[in-house]
Amino acid sequence: MKHMMKPIKLITTLGLLLVLIPSLSFSRGAREEKPVRMALSGNPDTLDPQKTAGTLTFQVTKSIYDTLIEPDPKGNLVPALAEGWDFQEGGKRILFRLRRGVTFHDGTAFTSKDVAATLKRMQDKNTGSPHGAEFSLIERIETPDPNTVVLHLSSPLAPLLATLASGWSAILPAHLIEAGHDFGSRPVGTGPFKFKSWVRDNQILLEKNTSYWMRGKPKVPGVEFRIITERSIQVQGLLSGQLDVIDMYDAIDLPILEKNPAVKVEKVLTSLVMVMAMNTSRPPLSDLRVRQAINHAIRKEEVLEVAYGGGIPVGTFMDASDPYYVDFTSLYPYDPEKARALLQEAGVASDRTLEMILPQNYEPHVRAGQIYQEMLQKVGLTVKIRLVDWSTWISDVYRKANYDLTVIGHTGKLDPDSRLANYGTDKTYVRWVHPEAASLITKAKSIMNPAERKALYSRVLEIMAREVPFVFVGTSYRYVGTRKDIEGFRIQPKLDAYDFRDVEVR
Amino acid sequence: MRIRIRRKRQKIQKLFLFTSTVYLCFLLFAAFGSSYLAPHSPTIQDLNHRLLPPLTEGRILGTDDLGRDIWSRIVYGTRPLLIIGTISVGIALAGGLLMGILAGAMGGIVDSFIMLLMDGILSFPTVLLAITVVSVLGYGLGQVTVALGIVFIPVFARLVRAETKSRLTEGYVESSRALGTSFPMILLRHVLPNMMPDIIAQSTVTFALVVVIEASLSFLGLGTQPPEPSWGLMLKESRNFLYQAPWMAIFPGVALAATVFSFNYLGDYLSEQLNPIR
Repeated sequence: MKHMMKPIKLITTLGLLLVLIPSLSFSRGAREEKPVRMALSGNPDTLDPQKTAGTLTFQVTKSIYDTLIEPDPKGNLVPALAEGWDFQEGGKRILFRLRRGVTFHDGTAFTSKDVAATLKRMQDKNTGSPHGAEFSLIERIETPDPNTVVLHLSSPLAPLLATLASGWSAILPAHLIEAGHDFGSRPVGTGPFKFKSWVRDNQILLEKNTSYWMRGKPKVPGVEFRIITERSIQVQGLLSGQLDVIDMYDAIDLPILEKNPAVKVEKVLTSLVMVMAMNTSRPPLSDLRVRQAINHAIRKEEVLEVAYGGGIPVGTFMDASDPYYVDFTSLYPYDPEKARALLQEAGVASDRTLEMILPQNYEPHVRAGQIYQEMLQKVGLTVKIRLVDWSTWISDVYRKANYDLTVIGHTGKLDPDSRLANYGTDKTYVRWVHPEAASLITKAKSIMNPAERKALYSRVLEIMAREVPFVFVGTSYRYVGTRKDIEGFRIQPKLDAYDFRDVEVR
Repeated sequence: MRIRIRRKRQKIQKLFLFTSTVYLCFLLFAAFGSSYLAPHSPTIQDLNHRLLPPLTEGRILGTDDLGRDIWSRIVYGTRPLLIIGTISVGIALAGGLLMGILAGAMGGIVDSFIMLLMDGILSFPTVLLAITVVSVLGYGLGQVTVALGIVFIPVFARLVRAETKSRLTEGYVESSRALGTSFPMILLRHVLPNMMPDIIAQSTVTFALVVVIEASLSFLGLGTQPPEPSWGLMLKESRNFLYQAPWMAIFPGVALAATVFSFNYLGDYLSEQLNPIR
């Protein structure tokens, strides 16, 4: 037995050395060879940008495809696959000059044919894109040479550039469109990373596109999206070093993250407008005084702090960081006395109960709902809460407007028209009808002069701020947690897509 | 040696029994006298005192994410718990008795049909069936109560049917029938009293199951609606604060586990004690 001990010891020591030495001497070098690992909060339904409206899809496809135009970190539209563009004939013709020397991941060159084929696929009813209507005014697409595209519109359309800069306008290769390629599970684009594999509900692997048109980018060998739905598990993953980047919508775990020296957290303003929506087609909410009373009863700062992890209060239907935003928060300050008086004036009986429907998968909205309930209780409005699952919320509340009150966040868009379209008509879930607002919104769509457009939208936002079909609560923050050695990670403003092109490992 | 071990075991058993009974009596008291035990309202928020750890500022078990007192919420949570438990078991028992006696006493096609139905219900996993019934009836406490009652009918029906069948063939029933006693009278006098021990034991165990499933349904958002206190709902709300405020999860969890343990233990004990044959 005693003879046996020595070889075992020796093997153990050698083994330990074998493990330790490389990890000590090559630890820096070894780390940089690995892809950046980011948590994704759910499984995208498809990776075909034309077949979904899901943010999860565009968060991934941003790295695989490019668009003609893209928003810079400030939200200005800058060239991407198009080097430049001109408006002609008062905005009815747009000419794009395309970038030369760009290739798709399969090696074929990018030309004007690809742009034309992509836009035609988008307009095709069979594609079934939820964003298809945004392209309906494009009458004809001309490709005079491989590097020029001319779009002929039936009437000027101001939001079109923003549409072309959004994830769903990603350019697909023409020859694969003709071949009926399945972009949903095997995406091919011109983007900074090539698609490698996708294990549903588990992970998506992307590898570096070595011939990307932006010189010297990307800087990391790949991106690994890990699909982790539970936020607390994402936080633990970041703390233990199994993840490099996480994107959080609330501040609950902030103290733990800030305590850890290997992790840094960046606070970014989202483009969300958090609201309590009111069904204005139902009494007593059809009475403006009741809606005003409800607005006076809410302490917005408190709701933002407790339910959404902090934010900036707003007074109208636009997020606080948007260039079109106008501050109307002083119209309905917190004033419970006035709220009570307005309710009495409107003759709301004290035994009147309103039903608040909450989407139970969004924990922050459920928390906010309970806070609203108590704030409204204090001015004498009884609210009963009912939790529903997400699909029920979409069909009953958002589509059929079968509710009194609900709590939700409206995501941002690059162009104000996408947020405001249909408001003032009975097509929205608040059923707020206001012909003047509706006609202003329609008119602003076709005006190309930015100052003129802004004036129209300011008027719309003022009407909404006064008529309060919602309680406009505020724009919340999001928190991006990264390991200390990761730099250059960005989230595209409004679109919320993840940009890894400048990510570096130090 | 053996005797000593057995004595020690009996001692532990007695201790468990005592603790379970005391705990259940306490639950009963908490349900009826919530306002005496709870120093705060279970639903009123105090946003300046959020996520307070236990034993601070007069909060025995701390506060939750909206500043509500956890101890008060647990105490008030006993009310829906016991009400749902009692009514669901009541529904299950009533339904089970009716079905079981019908099947056991009439036999033939009626028996086959009823038992086919019961087996059909039993073949679904309990929680899944409860979710299905709730989604048909709608969300809320009343609906959950009815759903859980329906789900547990087969358990009682099978028990009652078996008991009825075996009792009806016994000598004293035969002789009683020979003496001219009516059939309903036989059921009432001979059959029912004899199956009481089993029914009591089964009810206690079912009560524990109902408590767990109610908590699961509330956790899934189908049961008690916020801000009403329910242990399952409290566990659901605690999920996001596990690292920050573990007390939000621990206390309702412990209360739930202790309740289920107590009912189970009492059920086992009762079935052992009340049934001389075993």
